[in-house]
Amino acid sequence: MSNVILSKVNKIYGAGRTGVHAVRDLDLTVNDGEFMALLGPSGCGKTSTLRMIVGLEAITSGDIHFGGVRVNDLEPRERNVAMAFETYALYPNFTVEENLAFPLEVRGVPADERRRRARELAELLRITEILTARPPVLSGGQQQRVSLGRALIREPAVFILDEVMSHLDAHLKFQMLFDLKRLHQELRRTMIYVTHDQVEALALADRVAVMSNAALQQVGDRNALYNRPTNMFVADFIGEPPTTFIAVERCDRAGAIELRAIGADIVFDVAAERASALDAHGGRRFTVGIRPQNLYPCDHDPRMAGKVVINEYLGERSILSIVTGDVTLRALVPPETRLAPGDHAGFSLDPRDVMIFDTESGVLVA
Amino acid sequence: MRQAIVRGDPSTYPDWFDGKRRQRPLIVSRWVPIAMVGLPVAVLLAIVIYPTVWMFYHSLRDTNITGLFTGNHAYIGFANYATVLGSERFQDSLIHLLQYLSFGAVLQVILGTVLALILYEVVRSNLWRTVILILVVLPMMLPPSIVGVLWRFLLTPSNGAVNQALLDLGLISAHIEWFNAGISLWSIIIADVWNWTALPFLIVYSGRVSLPPAVYEAARVDGAGQWKVVRRITLPMLKEVIAIAFILRFTDAFKFVDLVYVMTSGGPAQSSELPTYIAFQRGIREFAIGEAAAYAIIIFAISAVIVTLFLQYMKRVMRAQGLA
Repeated sequence: MSNVILSKVNKIYGAGRTGVHAVRDLDLTVNDGEFMALLGPSGCGKTSTLRMIVGLEAITSGDIHFGGVRVNDLEPRERNVAMAFETYALYPNFTVEENLAFPLEVRGVPADERRRRARELAELLRITEILTARPPVLSGGQQQRVSLGRALIREPAVFILDEVMSHLDAHLKFQMLFDLKRLHQELRRTMIYVTHDQVEALALADRVAVMSNAALQQVGDRNALYNRPTNMFVADFIGEPPTTFIAVERCDRAGAIELRAIGADIVFDVAAERASALDAHGGRRFTVGIRPQNLYPCDHDPRMAGKVVINEYLGERSILSIVTGDVTLRALVPPETRLAPGDHAGFSLDPRDVMIFDTESGVLVA
Repeated sequence: MRQAIVRGDPSTYPDWFDGKRRQRPLIVSRWVPIAMVGLPVAVLLAIVIYPTVWMFYHSLRDTNITGLFTGNHAYIGFANYATVLGSERFQDSLIHLLQYLSFGAVLQVILGTVLALILYEVVRSNLWRTVILILVVLPMMLPPSIVGVLWRFLLTPSNGAVNQALLDLGLISAHIEWFNAGISLWSIIIADVWNWTALPFLIVYSGRVSLPPAVYEAARVDGAGQWKVVRRITLPMLKEVIAIAFILRFTDAFKFVDLVYVMTSGGPAQSSELPTYIAFQRGIREFAIGEAAAYAIIIFAISAVIVTLFLQYMKRVMRAQGLA
């Protein structure tokens, strides 16, 4: 068991002007026994980060420590990490049992012991009936379990999962999410889970590290990411449907601060405790972010109103797109809301749910 | 012109098909399909089937060159086969063939595999890989007859380069008589290994290149050493590829004439003859058409048995891996 600390880690592929800076000055601490998710869009550097942690990729600069030991120059087997691959990477010529037991085989564990441990693990992962089969005949979900099992069998210090669910259908994914969470709760291992799917990340992880453009954007639990995103990227990336951003201008009136939307008739009140942050910033123009689920339909004295253009019915909820002036808002409403395109709709919101960003840098102001 | 008739359930039509009857039928004449299939069949009949049948027919007759042209040959049952199977010359040549297969062909495949894996696992720079690849493949570019001449020069006992090099290195104290009885077959094998090791090398190398890299990363993370990886993962995964290389070299061994002809002419005293070479000698040189045909049929039968066994093995391997 150990924690993982990355300090000022950089990864540059190639050299000179053609070099690609895949990971930039990454600082990240994964606590002992924590389930950490690395979340970000394709090409954000999350898989490079993970491969450096495992030891499959050389670190250009910076340090990685496992439980206080610097592992930069150690081979994967010396780091005592286990990894489940996106493509499963099972040994095609081995049976499932041999696949599970291979990490033990290379460590010289006797055959009886290997067999016993493989069977134990197969029971845990519910794959006992396929122990004698070979990977090419297995379904995606089965291969995935075998690959998880192979990583689990030798009780590694750090357990790393690379996009392991990207090839599973929704139903199987739901099952595996449940299984993984259960496994982590039973084993209490340090786990690092890489994904581009925020649902997986938020469902599984104790904390989520959001990456974009080779850099770490924010680390935090779901509340932090959801309610206090450090910048517009995180606000936009986390949450489904995505946050609506509206350009606003600051107006001071009778001691209170208002933010007026540019090009639409919407006014946001700013609570007194946030006013000081705006004062400290000093600017007049900001970008306001509102999550669709924080808009409530309301007929009396709405804070904003507009015309419905689309009503997307998604089963347990509906997404309304509303146009007011130059602004298109999205609101998440109960499915029984019977609003058709062209209808007039009003909404209220809690001023505390409004996120205010610096327009230039995208950083959260208040 | 006939109208093409559209049948069946329209929902099963492919995307590109509009479901309408064509004004101009796709197939203009009923002779088009017949010609398309018929032409290759005719070629096959002319150059493969007919000669094979012809050969089998003459293997049962006492045909010689004059008999062939005058039509003066008689049915003699399996006498030709009896002659062939009973002759010491043929039995010796089978032993030579076995020797050639188990040392020549096997050595080529083993050497080719080892070289291919070393090139892939040890040489990391792409430039060096390409250079070595070209160097290893060069001998294969030469026609076997040239290779034969080349190696006859190299192996010339009195002033050949090989003997000279061995002498200079102090490995031998007297010239090796490379073309004496008992050694001449080995000389042919050496030349053939030099000539053809590149084929299994290329096959195994390309097989290794196409193995999934993620599996090797998994093995690295699992902690397997390089030797363990080669033995437990690479070689088993290359099993079919290596088997294909074997099949190719084995089937080639059965039609192996050129090097023997150029280097030793089967000599001295028929000590380096292979079955095909005898068939060639008896048929083309000595005009014993019937006997040569019997030789050819017997060689064909032996190689057919071996290749069938190989294919059976391949099928089993592929089924075990769920590929077939």
